[in-house]
Amino acid sequence: MQRRPVCAIEDLPPGTMKLVEAGKFGVGVYNIDGSLYAIANYCSHEGAPLCAGYVRGTTEFAPEAPGQVRYVREGRVARCPWHNWEFDITSGVNLADPQKRVRTYEVDVSDGQVYLIA
Amino acid sequence: MSMIIDANVQPHFRYNAEIRHYLSSAHKLRAIPDVEQQWYQAPRGDYRQDLYGDGYPGSDPETVARHLFDDGGVDYAILNPLTRGNIADYLLNSRICAAVNDWLVDRWLEPDATGRFRGTIRINPEDVKGSLAEIERLADHPKMVQVGVPLQSREPYGKPVFEPIWEAAAGHGLPVAVHVNGGNGVDYAPTFAGHAYTYPGYAAFMPLNSFVHLATLIIEGMFGRHPDLRFVFADGGYDLLTPLMWRLDTFWMSMRDQTPWVDRYPSEYLPNHVRYCTSALDGPTDASQAERWMDFTEKADLLMYGSSYPHWSTATPDAAVAGLNSGQREKVLWRNASDLYGVAAEVEGSLT
Repeated sequence: MQRRPVCAIEDLPPGTMKLVEAGKFGVGVYNIDGSLYAIANYCSHEGAPLCAGYVRGTTEFAPEAPGQVRYVREGRVARCPWHNWEFDITSGVNLADPQKRVRTYEVDVSDGQVYLIA
Repeated sequence: MSMIIDANVQPHFRYNAEIRHYLSSAHKLRAIPDVEQQWYQAPRGDYRQDLYGDGYPGSDPETVARHLFDDGGVDYAILNPLTRGNIADYLLNSRICAAVNDWLVDRWLEPDATGRFRGTIRINPEDVKGSLAEIERLADHPKMVQVGVPLQSREPYGKPVFEPIWEAAAGHGLPVAVHVNGGNGVDYAPTFAGHAYTYPGYAAFMPLNSFVHLATLIIEGMFGRHPDLRFVFADGGYDLLTPLMWRLDTFWMSMRDQTPWVDRYPSEYLPNHVRYCTSALDGPTDASQAERWMDFTEKADLLMYGSSYPHWSTATPDAAVAGLNSGQREKVLWRNASDLYGVAAEVEGSLT
């Protein structure tokens, strides 16, 4: 583990991600609504590059809504590009099975510079 | 304590026309399919050769009681009669179901001196209002322990059109038993790919249809909305359950967001909602593998002994649990059925 410089904070605006070379597979550093999070670029299913997938929201059951679903967690859910597994970027937890998670890392900002501990 | 519950017995009318005694004048002379009239017939008939005689196989309560209880060592038998298959006139079909139910009460349940027969309320799901009326009419009969529907259906049973029926059954604490109900009626092809060539193809693959019902009941949220709803798949096929549930679980991991009301692995619905009856066609052909096979996905908790008497494939209790360990035997031979149908309490004091 080491503290690695990522980029200037203005180069990582809300809704974007930087892939950092760290470890064997890399780590994705995300800015979600001004807060920074980092997850391993390695899906807990079969090792796909998770950070190459869509970042979207997800659905939750809403019996009274049209289609009985409500769209939630916009911008917080990474979908694996191989088999569509969903992970909450802020916690690394899989939305279907909380037992299956991806590793998360600490991120901090100092003097306008983003750092990743990985 | 140990006992045996046979969760799948098909009693028959003595002769085809006997059903007409139980139909109203308005329906008494309508055309009604005979049993054993469908194309896929076992060679030499669907039922055990030695049981054809004076009446139809499985049509004499005393003979059935002797075969099951005295010779077979069974303590309780759940009777689930056939109703001549789906027919296009769904209102007539509901009257046929009511006639079968009245006959079951009149000939089997009320005169039963052994106290060991339990019954099934047959309904026609293609007539939702008629099904609800029939359940309400008979649900409180003390010997009716489940609702019975055909395996053959023109929509999978997870569709919302059937929801009022399942809700009523669950509300009365009655499991829904699904059983092949072949007739010369209105059915789809017996396999997803079309018609089997001969009877072995039909018999081997027909139970696969149960999985379509099961998958839709899970994925379309029926079990989630009705925590007390129980389904029994009485034709067997439990040996196919494991790989099919693996597939369903795998797809759910990838596409959970399309059905967010499914809030757990599809296979996690099985213990609370699903039971299978044994079938002579199920399981490993080598009994030495049966114990391990049964442990996959905890199937020993899902399976109930069902003889299919008087079917040609009738299986004895010993044959149904060949190769299983004692814990598995106990569950399959009676404990699972006792928990489902609630007959243990009555037996506890009287039998050991």
